[in-house]
Amino acid sequence: MTNASHEVAKGPHHASGAAPSALSAHSIVKRFPGVLANDSVDFDVLPGEVHTLLGENGAGKSTLAAMLCGLYQPDAGYITRNGERISLSSPRAGLQHGIAMVHQHFRLVERFTVAENVILGSRDLSYKLNRSELEDKVAAVAESYGLPIEPGATVGDLSVGQRQRVEIVKALYQGAEILLLDEPTAVLVPAEVEKLFENVHAMTKAGKSIVFISHKLGEVVEISDRVTVLRNGRVTGHVSGRGTTDTKELARLMVGRDIELTTQRASHATGHEVLQIRDLSLTVGGVSVLSDISFNVHAGEMVGIAGVAGNGQRELADTIAGLMSPTSGSIAISGSLTTDRGPIHARELGLAYVPEDRLGMGLVPSMSILDNLLLTRDRRVVVDRTTVRPEATRLIEQFEIKANGPDHMARKLSGGNAQKVLLARELSGGRTATKLLVVCSPTRGLDVGAIETVRALLDDARSAGQAILLISEDLDEVMSLSDRIFVLYRGSVVHETPGESAELATVGAAMAGLKPEGKS
Amino acid sequence: MRSPIRIVFEQRNETPKHLSVLVPLLSVVAALVVGALFLLATGYSPLETYSNMLSDGFTSSRGITDTLGLSTVLICTGISAAFAFQMNLYNIGGEGQLYLGMIGGAWVGLAIGDRLPTFVMIPIVLLVGSLAGALWILLPAFVRSRLGTSEIVTTLLLTYIAASLVKHFVYSPGSFFVTKNSAFPQGRLVPDSASLSGIGNTSLYPSFFLVILIAIVLFWVVKKTEYGYRIQVISDSPRAAHYAGINANRTTMSVMLISGALSGLGGAVLIVGPFGRLDPGIILLGYGYAGIVIAALARNNFSAIIVSGILFAGLRSGGDKLQISTDTPIHIGVMLQGAILLFALGGEAFRRYHIHAVRTERATQ
Repeated sequence: MTNASHEVAKGPHHASGAAPSALSAHSIVKRFPGVLANDSVDFDVLPGEVHTLLGENGAGKSTLAAMLCGLYQPDAGYITRNGERISLSSPRAGLQHGIAMVHQHFRLVERFTVAENVILGSRDLSYKLNRSELEDKVAAVAESYGLPIEPGATVGDLSVGQRQRVEIVKALYQGAEILLLDEPTAVLVPAEVEKLFENVHAMTKAGKSIVFISHKLGEVVEISDRVTVLRNGRVTGHVSGRGTTDTKELARLMVGRDIELTTQRASHATGHEVLQIRDLSLTVGGVSVLSDISFNVHAGEMVGIAGVAGNGQRELADTIAGLMSPTSGSIAISGSLTTDRGPIHARELGLAYVPEDRLGMGLVPSMSILDNLLLTRDRRVVVDRTTVRPEATRLIEQFEIKANGPDHMARKLSGGNAQKVLLARELSGGRTATKLLVVCSPTRGLDVGAIETVRALLDDARSAGQAILLISEDLDEVMSLSDRIFVLYRGSVVHETPGESAELATVGAAMAGLKPEGKS
Repeated sequence: MRSPIRIVFEQRNETPKHLSVLVPLLSVVAALVVGALFLLATGYSPLETYSNMLSDGFTSSRGITDTLGLSTVLICTGISAAFAFQMNLYNIGGEGQLYLGMIGGAWVGLAIGDRLPTFVMIPIVLLVGSLAGALWILLPAFVRSRLGTSEIVTTLLLTYIAASLVKHFVYSPGSFFVTKNSAFPQGRLVPDSASLSGIGNTSLYPSFFLVILIAIVLFWVVKKTEYGYRIQVISDSPRAAHYAGINANRTTMSVMLISGALSGLGGAVLIVGPFGRLDPGIILLGYGYAGIVIAALARNNFSAIIVSGILFAGLRSGGDKLQISTDTPIHIGVMLQGAILLFALGGEAFRRYHIHAVRTERATQ
């Protein structure tokens, strides 16, 4: 708040009276084949500050971060540390300058303990490890920033939030003064996000600098002292001042136009039961993955399944789609049992399924859009592509898919367009008209514009009377779209609430496995 | 001031079309260069050797018919390898399946004898040979599709057993396959009804056209049919196949059996064609292994295999004749085959990556 007014200007301030920034990037340019990932980008972070890099996927924020920590080298431009020009030839060189990155996908050895992971890569280890001494050292570092971790615990047993803490402690232990956090909240439940933000504050108070990389507007406004917005590799704006920023303004800088993300939950007269699940249990390799799940989805209704990844969502979707056979219980689509009868039978009853993995499961990467449309359809002995071609052209137009035509290879589509192809195929029906649509994380990894389109498509499908089961780790998405919400935790439904009256705190607590009031 | 230069591999988004032709072509050229170095080092003239090979293999009319005759079996083993490779199934035991095709073809030819007319006998011999080839890959196909056992190991090891079988049938006294009362163990010739005659008294047999036809049909099957579609889905993403309800196990099984049958057909083609008998000499020729190289050079494209099969046949038959015409070593043909495989596989790097040298920029201190 204190420095809300000044500094709205362009570019980082050079040694012009103000304190030298801890780390600055000056006119950084980075090219990849066919892409200009960073186009003379300026960026700087002060000691004790949280400076956010905001942008859509592909805006160039991860590329910039990779250069700041030494993973990539810029094609042009340079980096300064405390005003002095440095050259970062590797992440190790970055560490020597006190710069560390916490990656979105953790780089931890699951079989090692927390302490072992933290010291991994240190060069000053003696031949013989003194474990208890090391554990004490690691615990001391963690405690000084209020990061509670148990140095002797095995990383494989930790939750995602705890693992992230290990990554942060590892960076601090290695002497990091500047931490780059790459989409740190993507994998966390709300309670863990809160905890992370507390830790971030503890670190900035101790004088550390945080570069926070994100595309989630709400949290960016909450955590950042300053925000730099990137679009198509260029800086489109600097905004400073915590809490004073308008998310709409940030969204406009990020996307380049106004965005309406809140979908209206139209109150739909719900029809007959399309999907009926009774006492569904699934055990894989002796481990119970789903237990005693029962619910229905009606025509014209969207049911949301919330939960942290790995609590049985994928298996639930696969079982409904006929890809896995339940250990006990039954699934019926439009009144006909589909249990143990395979995916083609389920599709003949009107199932459509958009899996979480677009390329590699939903779409065949090396095949054309046309051939991918054929994947879930009846293909005859000699594949008749000539009659499907006009339909492919029509769908490309109708769903506004950016492609060179039906022969465009799926692998070469952007994430958003690949998702549109998948939705186009599944919504348009193959063997029969679509009655039930199961969608998993439909907007994951998409940019804001594509998210808007995909959500609108789901909404249209619901209005058209299709029953939709939305399985997503994005709690905001589930909360804003669903008519009813179920929370899946360790394979069981632990919470159930109507969409309108759902409360973030209660649903979030249920996702974290805390006993909420409601269904026991 | 030193300015270090680094070689950078950048993954291509898209392989330029011309590279698909250029890389195989340059692999052949590079192999010829390596071959020339060896010839020079051992005191032969590369130019003379190559021009002899060329005239013996490709330019003289005798050379052409010999080459096409030899290509018949090589195209068989080439499409056999490619049919499996395209689904990432590495059947490298085409050699053994070829032996079995010979054994099967010779057996049925000898067993039926002169009782049936030629137009019935030839298809029977070819069919039984193919079935024998398929039989030889049945076990690898089964354990691969059910248990995931590496087909590379099983098909390769079975080749050694197949070679022993061939020797057993020829060298064991009183064997069904050999001429009785002969001082020298030698395979019995199949009856005339099971033999084709070379076109215009050359070593080119009508079976050549059958094999070309099969290659074209397979090309069509892969591009246009539901079976080919399934193969493409499974080879690219098994999980997408599962998602779409495609039974990968069954397709794996059938693809491997067809691959084995095609190599078996190659063996049977030798029975109705030039050999006419079970001949242990086949073990030294390595036609089955050559199929692997032919498929790799053609990047598993069935129409390109016709070209690369004929090219290899020319190298082999030209090389084989060198010994007679000049005093150059006969093995130059086989050596070139190996070198071409190495360069063709190495050339993949150029197709997948954009390789270029960059001068690393150092920040001036």
